[in-house]
Amino acid sequence: MQTREIISTGNDLAAIAAVDAGCLFFAGYPITPSSEVMHTISDLLPEIGGVAIQMEDEIAGVAAAIGAGMSGVRALTATSGPGISLKAENLGLAQMTEVPLVIVNVMRGGPSTGLPTRVSQGDVRQAKNPSHGDYRSITLCAGNLAECYTEVVRAFNLADRFMQPVFVLTDETIGHMHGKAVIPTEEEVKNGIVPRKKFDGTPEDYRPYGVGSDEPAVLNPMFEGYRYHFTGLHHDSKGFPTEEIETCRKLIQRLEDKVMMHRDELEFNEEFMLDDMTGEEGEVLIIAYGSVSLSAKESIRHLRAQGIKAGLFRPITLWPSPAESIRKYTDMIKNVLCVELNIRQYTEEVERVSSRLDIQGLYKVNGRPISPYEIVNKVKEVF
Amino acid sequence: MARTLMRFTGVGGQGVLLAGEIFASAKIELGGYGMKTATYTSQVRGGPTVVDITLDDDEIFYPYANDGEIDFMLSVAQVSYDLFKGGVSVGGTIVVDPALVKPSEEDKQKWNIVEIPIITIAKEEVGNVITQSVVALAIANDYTSAVDNDKLKEVMLSKVPKKVHEANLKAYELGIKYAQEARVTHVA
Repeated sequence: MQTREIISTGNDLAAIAAVDAGCLFFAGYPITPSSEVMHTISDLLPEIGGVAIQMEDEIAGVAAAIGAGMSGVRALTATSGPGISLKAENLGLAQMTEVPLVIVNVMRGGPSTGLPTRVSQGDVRQAKNPSHGDYRSITLCAGNLAECYTEVVRAFNLADRFMQPVFVLTDETIGHMHGKAVIPTEEEVKNGIVPRKKFDGTPEDYRPYGVGSDEPAVLNPMFEGYRYHFTGLHHDSKGFPTEEIETCRKLIQRLEDKVMMHRDELEFNEEFMLDDMTGEEGEVLIIAYGSVSLSAKESIRHLRAQGIKAGLFRPITLWPSPAESIRKYTDMIKNVLCVELNIRQYTEEVERVSSRLDIQGLYKVNGRPISPYEIVNKVKEVF
Repeated sequence: MARTLMRFTGVGGQGVLLAGEIFASAKIELGGYGMKTATYTSQVRGGPTVVDITLDDDEIFYPYANDGEIDFMLSVAQVSYDLFKGGVSVGGTIVVDPALVKPSEEDKQKWNIVEIPIITIAKEEVGNVITQSVVALAIANDYTSAVDNDKLKEVMLSKVPKKVHEANLKAYELGIKYAQEARVTHVA
């Protein structure tokens, strides 16, 4: 793969990634610590014929982006936890109508307005189910500067493949940290773009929601002669409201199956210093994601220097969770420590997929990062 | 080179963020790794701000400075000095602007505290208070020898508007001069 080196911040890299991935529309509302995504993309989009709008509030930000998605354009909005709370209703609409969209959430302390300038991973559970009803979230989580770029690119491709909103979670640390990122060239990214499916038969035969039981809707861009209907109500193959029993059941089951039957296309993890693990006594498995994984990696360097064989499993796709991969390691290694900047939000998922209730945890919710030494000390304390 | 950890502290709006970016970029352009992180409060101006700079020849994972490991700190605000001095290793150097930061006698025992009137230099000798961050940048590099001076200057100039290049170069040279003078005085 052709790469290039950029010195930048996570937020700027997310904006650059969107543009390289073919995003032509941004709408949002400034919120710390994500505002720089909007600042930067507002500079970039007009130069290539795209549009960036500061809307009147968070709700309008996501609504406008969904509208752009309906018209066939790759669209982005960026915010932080409080913004997702406001956008939630419309995110449900995008799930139900199957409109692709990328949402970058640069996480800060919560609940409510919380700690605006401080780091947190408190929105992991929110990303799984931001609004009511049954649907499956696709949530990616960047764990370093380069991934602020590559995961935003991946999110755009997945949004068009699965026809639904895709979250990219970063956090205040990664969004604002400034350093070197080695990322694919613009050409590599352009070559990897797979545009969303389009129906090219006669308009009379077009059934946007009349697809296979594990397939996403095929939504042609509005205003091109293919007429159909968008509604948050349960709908038929042309998008019109219905309460017909089987149609309703099949629709919601399809929203589930279009994601869950294709989890292999979504799973993406990093295994750091795990290749020499054999399951012998004393080995330590650390599970962490996002910026905390940086601290975990540094702690593993220290632990190994002290003779403790530790390694990191890092999910990059958080939802759906990499259940089998987590289980493979939790079956093999007895000492498991989850490290999160929240209270047990992903630990509970690890407990579920591992069927183990003895998973240890290190959690912090005061807006400060977890240092490598805190992880080292925790490992020594609990194992 | 072992890891160099620096911390710049001030209050929002003083330009300490830019100095951190310049250091990180210069180190990267020289083939190493550099990382800048900033911590600030939700106050737009006037809140305590801290910038951590990590420079290394090896890859940097955790981007913050671990408390007790910082080699060099520079502070231009009492509130930030008090909050963040604890991160500096015993015997490490802390440069303060004596008009704005009053270190205690106890602090002077614990750290190598150097007083340089950074703001006054920028305001009166350069004639532009905004250049204080570049005065600070030069002082920090003189104490840590973290990156090549010419490279640091080159990166600095690439990040400030052309019309203030001259003022910033002057600020850089003055920073070096004052740092060297302070070191001589200190040793004596």
